[in-house]
Amino acid sequence: MASVKIRNVEKSYGSLKVIHGVDIDVEDHEFVVLVGPSGCGKSTLLRMIAGLETISGGDILIGDKVVNDIPPRDRDIAMVFQNYALYPHMSIFDNMGFSLKLRKRPRSEIEEKVLEAADILNLRPYLGRSPGQLSGGQRQRVAMGRALVRDARVFLFDEPLSNLDAKLRVVMRTEIKALHQRLQTTSVYVTHDQIEAMTMADRIVVMNAGRVEQIGAPLDLYDSPANLFVAGFLGSPSMNFIKGRFRRDGGRAHVFCDDGTALPVPAVSDAANDQPVVVGIRPEHLCLAKDGAGVAATVDVVEPTGANIELFVELAGERVCAVFGERHPFRPGEKIALTWKLEKVHLFDSNSGDRI
Amino acid sequence: MPTKLKKSLIYWAFLSPLVVIILFPFAVMFVTAVRPRDELFVYPPRWGFSEFRWGNFAEMWVKTNFGEALFNSLYVSVLSTVLALVLSIPAAYALSRYRFRGKGAYRTFLLMTQMMSPIVLVLGLFRLMVAFGMVDNLNSLVLTYAAFNMAFTIWMLQSYFSTIPRDLEEAAWIDGASHLNSLIRIFLPLAVPAMAVTAIFSFINGWNEFVLALTMIRSSDDFTLPVQIYSQVAGRYQVEWHHVMAGTVLATVPVAIVFSWLQKYLIRGMALGAVK
Ligand SMILES: Nc1ncnc2c1ncn2[C@@H]1O[C@H](COP(=O)(O)OP(=O)(O)OP(=O)(O)O)[C@@H](O)[C@H]1O
Ligand SMILES: [Mg+2]
Repeated sequence: MASVKIRNVEKSYGSLKVIHGVDIDVEDHEFVVLVGPSGCGKSTLLRMIAGLETISGGDILIGDKVVNDIPPRDRDIAMVFQNYALYPHMSIFDNMGFSLKLRKRPRSEIEEKVLEAADILNLRPYLGRSPGQLSGGQRQRVAMGRALVRDARVFLFDEPLSNLDAKLRVVMRTEIKALHQRLQTTSVYVTHDQIEAMTMADRIVVMNAGRVEQIGAPLDLYDSPANLFVAGFLGSPSMNFIKGRFRRDGGRAHVFCDDGTALPVPAVSDAANDQPVVVGIRPEHLCLAKDGAGVAATVDVVEPTGANIELFVELAGERVCAVFGERHPFRPGEKIALTWKLEKVHLFDSNSGDRI
Repeated sequence: MPTKLKKSLIYWAFLSPLVVIILFPFAVMFVTAVRPRDELFVYPPRWGFSEFRWGNFAEMWVKTNFGEALFNSLYVSVLSTVLALVLSIPAAYALSRYRFRGKGAYRTFLLMTQMMSPIVLVLGLFRLMVAFGMVDNLNSLVLTYAAFNMAFTIWMLQSYFSTIPRDLEEAAWIDGASHLNSLIRIFLPLAVPAMAVTAIFSFINGWNEFVLALTMIRSSDDFTLPVQIYSQVAGRYQVEWHHVMAGTVLATVPVAIVFSWLQKYLIRGMALGAVK
């Protein structure tokens, strides 16, 4: 096993630059998830680690050795592809044993390793079949198995669950995490699904348009996002944003919206009076106010999800989402008042988008 | 089910004129090939005949030196097919996998060569072969047939190669395969159906080719089947039609049967190659 270091890496296709100087350190044994919207360059970065794309600038190190010019087969990595890339003309057994066969390992060792991996992944009954005869979930596990038999130093995953249905995705998510806890192989996992990122990662790298927005442990990113992009990307339903101007009076502070509504916010010292800011509040941090306190809101839409009630209200001229655990009988058009704890409020600079 | 039967009956009714047009020459060929010599020219022409003479085939085989011509045809068709494939596979692979300067121009060039009839070039090719000292040599046909087929085989292979996902080769590289290894163990096995189709195409072209064979080959020992059969008709006082027809039956029917049988496996092969 080994660490992976990405040093100021860039990638251009002709004159089109798609990765703009990325720095990431993946520790030994760590499970790092690259997450970001479609087209932000996650796959490109992963493929550069694998050696399937050339590197236009910077260095990639696997285990303290620069691998920029080392071909994929000598990097000692394993990769699980989005569409699995199983060899259609080989049996499942041969698919999983292919890498060992290429390394000219004895038949008995290949058999032992493949059977071991097959047992971990419950693939024993299918070893004689061809990939075309398996379901999507089974194929996914074969792709995992192909990586497992290798004892590779680094595992790379490119959206391995995106072709599965929602239920199976949750099951496989847990299985992959359990597998990592057991094997401790350094892993880089690409997804555009923020829930996958939150649940699986030791650390998350949030990417946007070829740049890293923030790196950190899932809950750190969730609790203190560095900017508007990260704040809006992580969490479902996503964070509410309300624009206004910051105003301090004494020990307290408010943000005044265009329609005159005053939102209580923490009196942070870095914000200047009248500075245009964006207030960010997560839906689960909104509570119903009692006794005429709080900020007025009008109920728009009520969406019960079973575990919670998702409530969309009009607050200060914006549509805001709130999540309640208790079953309150809301009706559309109803006037309510919302409140929140000051320490749960995030303030962002309107112009730069950075956290204040 | 009865509606399905009705449907297929209707389809066959529509197809039948075509079937008749295709089968008529074979029927004439066959009934001429097996009748006695003195029943060849009767008026009005009849389908029936008094005696079934399989012996015509044996006579023809000896008299027209059929065995040697058959060997020549096989030699030229097989070798030109192998040569065309060996050269087309790398070209098609490069076209489907790599970006390089002049790729578009190369493709257009391949298409343009298909717009020219070989007959237009026959004189030039003959002089070329004279310069190479290869006139009256079967290898001159191997070269020219391979060259004429390559534009088509490259085009055909390339379009099939493009349907084989790149991921598979990339997965093989990561598994530890060299480029050559992944080509041999992963890519080519998946490309077998396309290679078989192009091989059949190229083989049949070589098998049926006439003009170039007539031009390049002088001595009757080196005649290919079409030229040999033609030589039984052209410039003779007396044409032994039953032998000519026996020759054409032997030259066409076995090949047709073999390939229609192979086609079954080809379709199965294509279905196997499917990735999802
Ligand atoms: N061969 C190529 N030539 C030119 N541009 C490319 C090429 N491959 C990728 N790109 C561009 O690079 C950018 C990043 O692509 P990449 O595949 O890494 O996105 P991604 O983050 O994996 O997205 P997704 O979540 O949709 O898979 C995209 O804007 C894409 O258009
Ligand atoms: Mg991608």
